Amino acid sequence: MAVVEKKKHTRRDEVNEIIRADDLWEPVGHTPMAEIPDLRNWDMRLMKQYKPLYAPMCDLCCFCTYGKCDLTGDKRGACGIDISAQQARVVLLACCMGMSAHGGHGRHVLHYLIEKYGRDYPINLGDQVAVEAPHIRTVLGLKPETLGDLEKALEYVESQLIHLISSLHTGQEGSALDYESKALHASMLDHVGMEVCDIAEIVGFNFPTSVADTPLVDMGWGAIDKTKPTILLVGHNPVTAVPIVDYINEHGLQDKIEVGGICCTALEVTRYSERAKIVGPLSRQLYFVKTGFADVIVTDEQCIRTDMPQQAAAVGSALIATTDKASYGLEDMTKREADEIVKDMVKGKQTLIFDPEKAAEVAVKVALELAPKRKKELVTPEQVPELAKDHRLCNMCSQVCPNLLPVGDAVEAAKNGNLEPLAEVFSKCIGCGKCEQECPRHVPIFKMMQAVAGSETWKVRAGRGPVMDTEIRKVGAPLVLGTIPGIIAIVGCSNFPEEINEVADIAEEFAKRKYIVVLTGCSAMTAGMKKDKEGKTLYEKYPPDFDAGGVVNIGSCVANAHITGAAMKVANIFATLPLRGNYEVIADYILNRVGACGLAWGAMSQKAASIGTGCNRLGIPVVLGPHSSKYRRQYVSRKEEDDWTVMDGRERKLVDTEEPSPEHLAYVVESKERAIVTMAKLCIRKNDTPQGRQIKLTHYIALHKQYLGTLPDDLHIYVRKTSDIPIFFKKEVMAYLEKVGWKEKPVLSLPTLVGTYPSEVPLDAVVH
Amino acid sequence: MTTTLPYHRVNVLTGTKAARIIEDAGEYAHLIKRARRPLLVLGARTLTMSLDGRLLIEYAADIASAIGIPICATAHTKKKLLELGVEPASSYDITEIVNHLKDPEWRGVKKEGNHDLVMFLGFRTDFGEQALSTLKHYAQHLKTMTLCKYYYPHASYSLPNLKDEKWKEFLDNLITNLKEKEA
Ligand code: SF4
Ligand code: SF4
Ligand code: SF4
Repeated sequence: MAVVEKKKHTRRDEVNEIIRADDLWEPVGHTPMAEIPDLRNWDMRLMKQYKPLYAPMCDLCCFCTYGKCDLTGDKRGACGIDISAQQARVVLLACCMGMSAHGGHGRHVLHYLIEKYGRDYPINLGDQVAVEAPHIRTVLGLKPETLGDLEKALEYVESQLIHLISSLHTGQEGSALDYESKALHASMLDHVGMEVCDIAEIVGFNFPTSVADTPLVDMGWGAIDKTKPTILLVGHNPVTAVPIVDYINEHGLQDKIEVGGICCTALEVTRYSERAKIVGPLSRQLYFVKTGFADVIVTDEQCIRTDMPQQAAAVGSALIATTDKASYGLEDMTKREADEIVKDMVKGKQTLIFDPEKAAEVAVKVALELAPKRKKELVTPEQVPELAKDHRLCNMCSQVCPNLLPVGDAVEAAKNGNLEPLAEVFSKCIGCGKCEQECPRHVPIFKMMQAVAGSETWKVRAGRGPVMDTEIRKVGAPLVLGTIPGIIAIVGCSNFPEEINEVADIAEEFAKRKYIVVLTGCSAMTAGMKKDKEGKTLYEKYPPDFDAGGVVNIGSCVANAHITGAAMKVANIFATLPLRGNYEVIADYILNRVGACGLAWGAMSQKAASIGTGCNRLGIPVVLGPHSSKYRRQYVSRKEEDDWTVMDGRERKLVDTEEPSPEHLAYVVESKERAIVTMAKLCIRKNDTPQGRQIKLTHYIALHKQYLGTLPDDLHIYVRKTSDIPIFFKKEVMAYLEKVGWKEKPVLSLPTLVGTYPSEVPLDAVVH
Repeated sequence: MTTTLPYHRVNVLTGTKAARIIEDAGEYAHLIKRARRPLLVLGARTLTMSLDGRLLIEYAADIASAIGIPICATAHTKKKLLELGVEPASSYDITEIVNHLKDPEWRGVKKEGNHDLVMFLGFRTDFGEQALSTLKHYAQHLKTMTLCKYYYPHASYSLPNLKDEKWKEFLDNLITNLKEKEA
């Protein structure tokens, strides 16, 4: 019998096939389509410097039927797990949820577009964006050319997810650090998924790309003309929103119907149509729904009220759910005729329609039919005391408020005709509805707030998608040398600790200091919700360019991939480092040389957890608002005690820099003032030239003096040579340095972690 | 274990080890005086909460100066403290101070050794509770104490939920008690 020789098909062969390794646009690096173990050493190196710091939310675990297990202090669960590993396990779970939400959204979009245009539909992001997908290029090693290629990227992400989730099962991982490494992996993949999603939307829906000055769109519920039939879109996924706009345009209804959005669907739909309006961020969802202004509410996915059927019914708004992620137990009417569905809906039936075009037609028709029959009025200040008549200052509302607001006292004042405290509560309210739900006397707190909400409108620049290669070329050198002091990325939800306007304050503080300010998601909207004396918002006041002093709305949550992508492009376009399968080198470059710092001031969701953790693996520090302590984990260093030795890549020797730059990777602060000072510090990098360091220290010192009253206590740590000292503060700083016995420190021309931990990456790979 | 609920329900304890509730300012003062190296950590809300027209940070300054307790001024409290003529020993932010306190070998804000009693005042309760959670689980070498009018389950010693008048009375008594010599 002849022996059939079986050719071995290794994992690497498979990878090479998927990424078309023979296509030599760049050499393939060490970790194409990285699996869980591949970047584990990088993670461990990061966490040697930035150790996880846990703040358990629960001391118990109830994951399996051995439990509940008390894990307080040194105790272990019945399975053997300790409190740290359990916290890291929850962090991984959150990151998997976040990454799946973006990936699932991307899947849905891709599926829709591939059905419409086919797998070979080309990716083209315009003439200013040649490096179209830095994450897919770096993490997979694939240069995506078609929608089919994006699908390959998503398939890879999905295949990793099964391993990640499986490690959460009882009796698997026992190490907090390994759970963290997996969380970092999940979150790196989150950025791949987001990138897939946003690129698909840009090419499939013709969203803007290769442009900076996208249109200014209207925001605020006052922007909605309540005399017109109104459709409210809630969620993140534009698959139904886009056909709604198309249907309206095709039927010449542009002036007859209002389309407004809450949360990211608003950002998405305004990338498609300038006529669409942004009602507001997530924190305004329940308010707006409760006004009953929407004749039809269309939900898609993520951060939508899970009680939307009840809320919509209470105010007589029709409801169409459109995704498998959130079907609310409604009857699936996808296969029925549109006009039949409309008839049912006008009678009050809520529906589930998976076909976007059908959902669009139904939404428009129902809105047109229902609107004339509905009354839309806001509560006036005069009506407020009467609404509060049953209130008895029991403060049950204040006790359940997740933002710790004195709701009861505000209602008390309002009952007596003083609406000011209620207005203040409204400005800090995250819009959860807990207060009203808890009130034993059924005081309609949300209705009362209508009287103080105002109907001001603002302008937001429509999300612009990827940062252009030309922009990177221009800012690459100043960023890496430090003469542009940093990229400030303000992202995430509207779970803000204090006034909603704080986001605009923070953004402006950095824009006027000539940092590059980029924003996404609810934070991007919120930054537009403040006007100066001339009535201008930040988007009208500052240029839309990715350049010093620019204020740039990148887009929705999934557009976050373009922010991290911009940092990767600095490594690639400016420093000419290959991206392909070269994650460690790129992350190392960003960590040591690109002064970027994220801010998630109101992070709420699991998506925010994975977005932030994905930034961290890539070497970008993130400052978080106080609610984020409930994510349970930060990545922090101890600046004086820790070893800050890195490799000098050019000299090929280890150097103890004594410099904690950046000092932390994930860091929670309590106040806006401290956040600003901390972010300025976290933009410092070992690679700064003396001139760049002077500029960064000028801002750090000035901000520290402004908000904390003195020179920074750790200033001496960041002065390497006297040439680093800002001229403006020279005398003062010199006196301080003398007082603390400062000594000169080494300056490195090519700082890198490569060579300081076990890795297949040779030192030569980081020298460019 | 106590069944007292924290004022803000978001801080409900999901665990078995909860703070000992103390209402007597004398007992608090005794615990503080008995400590070898106490530390007072101040949060941002000391700048916005007031009692009888005095900012909380002014009470904090009185408590600290009564027996020379070093202050860690977190958030942006340092500026106001200096205006009040009090020099904080540290301006670590809350995460930094907690991270250091975890380490029994740390030398403390005065470089004399780690602290054995850490007092907290003026944090938003959810954030403060998370910081205390870290210390409860990872810093069993020290005790924590809260001075706010809210019950903090994760502390070692906490006040119960108090109305403002009672709280002010407590803080005034605490300051008086601290100034008195222990028998
Ligand atoms: S997973 Fe482990 S700690 Fe959690 S309940 Fe089961 S046995 Fe207990
Ligand atoms: S709706 Fe606003 S005021 Fe009411 S409990 Fe939620 S955050 Fe607090
Ligand atoms: S729960 Fe109701 S009655 Fe009680 S304070 Fe709040 S609004 Fe007033």
